[in-house]
Amino acid sequence: MVRSTSTTRSIPLSRSTSVLFVLLALAFWAGAAGAADTDKLQQLFIAEPYLELHEGPGRGYAVTQVVPRGEAIDVLYRRTEWFRVRTHRGIEGWAHQREMLKTVLADGSPFTFDLGNREGFTRHRWEMGVLAGDYSGATLISTYLSRSFNEQMAVELTGSQFLGNASNGYTAEIGLIHVTRPDLRLSPFVTLGTGMIWLKPKSTLVLPEDRDDQTAYAGMGLRYYLGRRFFVRGEYRYHMVFTSRNENEEINEWKLGLAFFF
Amino acid sequence: METGPRLLLLTALASLSLSGCAMFRGSAEERATAAEEPDPAAAEPDAAGAAPPKVIEPEVERREVKVARIDAENIELGAFYGALSIEDFGTNPVYGIRAAYHVTEDIFFEAAFGRSKAGKTSFETIGGDVELLTDDERRFTYYNLSLGYNILPGEVYLGRGLAMNGALYVLGGIGSTKFAGDQRFSVNFGAGYRVLPTDWLAIHIDVQDIVFQSDLLGKDKLTNNMMATLGATVFF
Repeated sequence: MVRSTSTTRSIPLSRSTSVLFVLLALAFWAGAAGAADTDKLQQLFIAEPYLELHEGPGRGYAVTQVVPRGEAIDVLYRRTEWFRVRTHRGIEGWAHQREMLKTVLADGSPFTFDLGNREGFTRHRWEMGVLAGDYSGATLISTYLSRSFNEQMAVELTGSQFLGNASNGYTAEIGLIHVTRPDLRLSPFVTLGTGMIWLKPKSTLVLPEDRDDQTAYAGMGLRYYLGRRFFVRGEYRYHMVFTSRNENEEINEWKLGLAFFF
Repeated sequence: METGPRLLLLTALASLSLSGCAMFRGSAEERATAAEEPDPAAAEPDAAGAAPPKVIEPEVERREVKVARIDAENIELGAFYGALSIEDFGTNPVYGIRAAYHVTEDIFFEAAFGRSKAGKTSFETIGGDVELLTDDERRFTYYNLSLGYNILPGEVYLGRGLAMNGALYVLGGIGSTKFAGDQRFSVNFGAGYRVLPTDWLAIHIDVQDIVFQSDLLGKDKLTNNMMATLGATVFF
């Protein structure tokens, strides 16, 4: 009894110190990254009567400073829809992207940037999402990351876990996606790819050994733009599992989830 | 007289630079009218009776303005430590890592991975030598993918001289939990408070419930596993 208590305590303590160490290392790296290349900051000029600077990156934070027209600011970094800026008097604060759109570059041309709107839904570089659904009767949790080449074509990485009554397992897939009408709010797509499945039958059943097989899939789905950077994605995939046995296995996958682009 | 030629030169310079501007920024109409207008530099010398002026080539090159890459710091990475109450198995330390991506000022996605180790059920404690689970099976491992919403963003004041940004958030998600030799689909939901001593460091106080179906103690039931953690994350 006494021994068991001491082990449960000692393990988390040593782990917590290593966690703390990792955290400190992360903090150091973030600080170092923040300190580097300060000379490459974007300079902008206020064209409106003034620019409001908030205390934090959100509408709930108070406006404590204003920068008058004609004055220059340096853009330090961006967090969601907010820009951290510094005036030439050294005052720092957060400005909303709506206000930043009204600032100008040194040559007088307006400052433009990725806004995260409907246009971004049609044309973007990255997207990521979390989906849940059904994988041949098992509950499915799935995430994906996609990199677009153009408005219509993208390469996609999918990682999933399925949890069923008979077996659990993971899948990892890589494929191509073709968005047929990226300009529509409800835009359809088709997809094709290949991957691996790691299947772990539950110990109560007859097939005790783990299996890993190659798979190929074809699928189609719909994306519906919600607003800002978000969209709903629903999808069906038909998988062919190339087993080491005589016949191949077919798996139907249905999933629905929320995704965003950036 | 000195002012005559100087005025002339200035007019010429102004007309040159103005036409330059019109070419660069103006619409096609503006450009057309600028071209139709008689060149004052060409017309005025005869009136003044002076020698035709030299065309002044401005030596100042147009400044090319390049838009610098603006660093986006939407990713939050960190670790947490706290207590997890595993239903029927007592409260035990839990630790893990979390990563979040802030999509808008209100909404973020979070992925978390955590571990804990279950204690003994009251039956095992009273029963003496009874062991329901092996040491390995007592390990509680989970991950979840959540969607979070910042509901109360604002500043917090610590004493008279210190103000920090903070936000109360709610989150909910899906994931899986491995416990007692079985892996199950789990749903998590909870709320937390994030306070930022600096712009890149956040301290989290977080309370979540991990819910999953379990038939470990004979009857199939929904188990609630409450967790309270303290964590720190860094923004990238």
